[in-house]
Order: sequence, then structure tokens, then C-alpha cells
Amino acid sequence: MSATELATKTMVMSRPGAKTGQSNEFTLISKLKPGGAERMRQLLADGFTGERQKNTDRIATVHDLRFVIFDNDTRIMFASTFDGGWDQYIDDFGTILPDEIDLLFHEFEGYPGINSPDIRDWIVKQQVTAVGFYSAYPEASVRDVWKALKSKKALDALLDTASN
Amino acid sequence: MSMKDIPALEVSDIQATVLRPRPSPYRGEYVVLRIDNAAQGREMLRRLIPNVATSDDWWLPTLPGWVGVAFTYEGLKAIGVPQDSLNSFPEEFRRGMAARASTLNDIGENAPTNWEYPFGTADMHIALAIYSKDDENLEMALRLARQCHHDLPQISVLYRLRFSELPDGRNPFGFKDGLHNPNVEGSGATVHPGSGRPIKAGEFIMGYPDELGTTATGPEPEVLRRNGTFLALRIFHMKVAAFRNYLREQASSPAEEELIAAKMVGRWRSGAPLVLAPDRDNPELGGDQERNNAFRYEDDMDGLKCPFSAHIRRINPRDALKNELIAVNLHHFIRRGTNYGPPLPEGALEDDGAKRGGVFLLIGAHLRQQFEFVQSQWVTDGNFISHGREQDPILGNAEGDGIFTIPKHPVRHRLHGLPQFATVRGGEYCFMPGLRALKWLAGLEVDDKQHITSNKGAKQ
Repeated sequence: MSATELATKTMVMSRPGAKTGQSNEFTLISKLKPGGAERMRQLLADGFTGERQKNTDRIATVHDLRFVIFDNDTRIMFASTFDGGWDQYIDDFGTILPDEIDLLFHEFEGYPGINSPDIRDWIVKQQVTAVGFYSAYPEASVRDVWKALKSKKALDALLDTASN
Repeated sequence: MSMKDIPALEVSDIQATVLRPRPSPYRGEYVVLRIDNAAQGREMLRRLIPNVATSDDWWLPTLPGWVGVAFTYEGLKAIGVPQDSLNSFPEEFRRGMAARASTLNDIGENAPTNWEYPFGTADMHIALAIYSKDDENLEMALRLARQCHHDLPQISVLYRLRFSELPDGRNPFGFKDGLHNPNVEGSGATVHPGSGRPIKAGEFIMGYPDELGTTATGPEPEVLRRNGTFLALRIFHMKVAAFRNYLREQASSPAEEELIAAKMVGRWRSGAPLVLAPDRDNPELGGDQERNNAFRYEDDMDGLKCPFSAHIRRINPRDALKNELIAVNLHHFIRRGTNYGPPLPEGALEDDGAKRGGVFLLIGAHLRQQFEFVQSQWVTDGNFISHGREQDPILGNAEGDGIFTIPKHPVRHRLHGLPQFATVRGGEYCFMPGLRALKWLAGLEVDDKQHITSNKGAKQ
């Protein structure tokens, strides 16, 4: 098989979303269900704290995420940066965290549910690829950063002990 | 769960290669065929079907051997499967393994452009696996297979690879392997301790519910997919001299060489797992199939016995990832491995130029969630175990610049400059149909009241 043929075939399989290093940007833009904006505000009033933070930490590949409501409360954007590909893990999310994920996306119009066979197609349809994407540390994963922070903390403690 | 919730598998319709272990000792041959005429392809298939082993009478001592048969996407096309049906196959199967090279990290030496013909080309249509217990029976089985197409000029043999068991059932690196396979619910296969809880049959065979409770709705028609599955065929060349030399360089004694090798694999040469035998090999344990796979990682969550990055802990994490957001039950496949080539003589450190290695049939109903997930996330990445881009020490492809981390107190031991020990000589995605489906493909009436249909009217 020639290199050109290979390149063409690979492109057909690729998903939307820009990539730098191992960081991927992921942006979904969707209409909100009627009254959805208010319900989203209530749902997220406490932010990503407590159980929600713990659950999101468990994913361990999400650098950041945000929900933004715009157009007079009629539309919503979900934007995130994460490591690796989302579609490989979507069944895992659906198996382990279905309620939490369904709760967060429930107000997106047409959201079929994380365990729906149509979920991949729905995501691709709402996804908008960024025209520009920058990461300050494109080769570092969330786990790399966590590990580095843990090492730094241990090193600081060691240095503090040594200098006392 | 009561027995009545477990669907009975139609074992007489499922190919033996899917559910049953190959004989041991074994001799055999993989054969790749090309079909240039659909009618001749169907005629060949009609003659072959009586030799295809099923999972119920899979190893009759009266048979000289057994045949497994699988089709590539191009092969289904060549035998005249209608386009509507072809379109209903999963995308990764339709595109073929070579097109998935960037996902599978098949780059550098492993790149499809370096594969042997006919792998990665549209010429590869049918893959046959012919197994036998000895050379004499194998010759008989091969003769039977040849008779299926010897007078059909538009069926060509493109590739043949003879395989046989190495002494003591070891792989070319000198390790006893093939000690684990998932426990397929309702399959009737012997379950040895350590194979885990039963996994829903639909993960491995279409026509039954899978771990998500879903029963496959494609490919169409139902008669074609029922009791069929997919396999990822991977042919590896194993650089045994490079492996031995690397161990020699890294260790200061033969005992340390053995320890490093075991840390890379996760088992000692005898098959004894590090979790149960952390300090030295225990051949008695390794040889006891009631004990050699009976372990979990719950008492080794710091990886001090078996490194996080060890081959068997990556490929089959058991309970090691229980705190992570990974549904391990979605990422199993059945593994049928065979070895080819002569063993490199004991102690030899120089490559003799011989081709030797392993051929793996990695079988499951969901190529993307199973083979592709394991290969891309667990074999060729290390992020899931917080190891950055570290790859599998045995199957990884860091182009000579691999690292391998061995957790140890007070400081870890990290190996650098790991050469590539296994290279891909070829591979492909294949569809392994059930027996009724083979008949359908051959244009025969299918003996099933619900599915009186055939492939006869298809284009020539």
C-alpha cells in the first residue's frame, strides 16, 4: 500500500478536534432545551467540588473544562482539553459514570444519553474544531502534571528538612 | 445469576478457533488465499466447509487436523457479498489494519510499508489456520485443504507460514506463555483459576448480549453475523539475540538477567507469575495450571512484585486498574498464539538471521474497543499507569529508545535504551464467520427456518 493511500484512509477515520502533542481540544456547541439554562446554573451552582470533583478527577485525562451559556440562554458550549482520544473511552465512561455524565449533558438538545448507540455520532455532530489551539505543555498529560506536583512537594519537604 | 439467564451458545456453529485451545503439542500452517473469481471462491468454500472445525467436536482424534477460516473485507467482496452487506461491517474492518497504523503505533520498522506481501494489500482475501498434532497429520490436513482449490485456477496461494510448538511450550524468548484467556460465559471451556469472572459471550461472538447488554445489529444480514466474530492477525518477528544481549548489558549476574527478564514479562520463564513468586522462579508453580494464573494485583498495588509496566500487567490488568475510570471488562480479547521458526540455541548471543516469532489471533466482537484499545492505550502508551509515554517492554515500539520502570525501594530502577524486541511482519483484520454463515457465503441454502436465504444471486 502506498503512503498516499494510507494517509487518505487514516484521514477518513479521524475525528474532529485539534491536537497538539498529546493534548486534544474538544468543543461542543448545542442548543439548550427550554428552561435548560436555569437548570444548568442550579446544577453547577457549587462548581466542580465535592463528589463532582472526585468523579472528574477519576477520569484523570481532563486538563480543564467549562460550560458556557450564550445567545440569551438558548445555546451552550462545552469546551475542554484532555489527553488522548475521547471515543476510545466513551464506553468506559458510560459503564462507570453514566449518571454524572448524563446529568451534565442532559440539557443539551438531542443528547441521546451516554449509553446510547448514537452517542458517538451525536458528539461528532455537535463538535466544532478550534481554528487555533495552544498548550503550554503539549507533551505533559494530566497524570504527568499530577506526578510532577507530587514530586515537587516531596522534594520541597526534603529540602526543608535538610535545611532545618 | 441463574443458569436460565445465560444464553446457550450455539457451539456447533462457532468455529473451534474462537472457543477452544489449539492442540498441544501442535504443528500447523497459516495460508493466505486470493480469489479472482467469485464462483470459484464459493466452490472452494463449499469443499472447505466439512473440514472447518466447530467448537463442539473440535478435537476428534480421528481427524488429521482442523481448519479455521476467516475473511478480510476484500475477501468478502471477492466472494461476492453484496455491497449493502459489505457497508454494514465496522469501519476499522472495512479499512483494514494497515489503515489504522497511526492508531496502532505501527510506525518505523512496524510500518505497513515494511510488511511482507500480501499483508496490508487488497490481495489478501482469505486466511486459513490449519492445526494438527504432528507432521504426518499436518501433511494430510494440508492435502485436504489443497484439494479444495487445486483445480480452481483463479484461487491463488499468496502466503504460507509453517508453525510448530517449541520445546516445553516456550515462546522464542524462552517463556512459557498463552496462560491466560478470558472466561467466556456459557462457552463450556475449561476454566482455570485466575481467568476472572465470566465475561458475556457477546464480547467475543455476535448473536449474544455483550457486557453493555447490547446484541450486535451489524453486519447484515443476521445469518452472516450470527456466531461470527472478528480477529486481529499479528505476525511478529522476535529478536531473541537482541533480548539476550540487552539483559546481559543491564545485569551483573545471570540471576539478575533472569530477574530483569521476568520483570519485563511479569512471569518467570516457567510461567510462574511474579505476584506469586516475586524473588525467584518456581517451575513447579509455573507448570501447574491450577495455580500459575491464580492471582490478582490487589496485594501488589505498588508494583513492587510485578511492575506496572510489565507485559502481562499491561495486556491483562485484572484488578490493577480498579480505582481508575476504566471498564476493564470491555477490553478483553481471546488470544490464540502459535510460534514459528527454530529456537535460537541456548546461550547464543549472536543473531543467526533465522525468522522466528509468534503469530497471534486476537479475537473479539469489538475490534475497536478490544484489540485497538489494548494496542493503543496499554501497549504503546504509559499514561494509564502514570508512566508518561513508556511502552510495553516486549511489544513496544519506541524505535530503540524505550524505557522500562521497575518500582523498587528506596528508589526505582529504570532501564533505558530498550531496543525493539518484536517487530510486526504483517497483520490484518479478519471476519471469522460461523458455520451457517460460511454456507451462506458459499451460496448454499442455509439450514435454518428463520434464515432461508443464500448468497447465490450475488455478482460473479
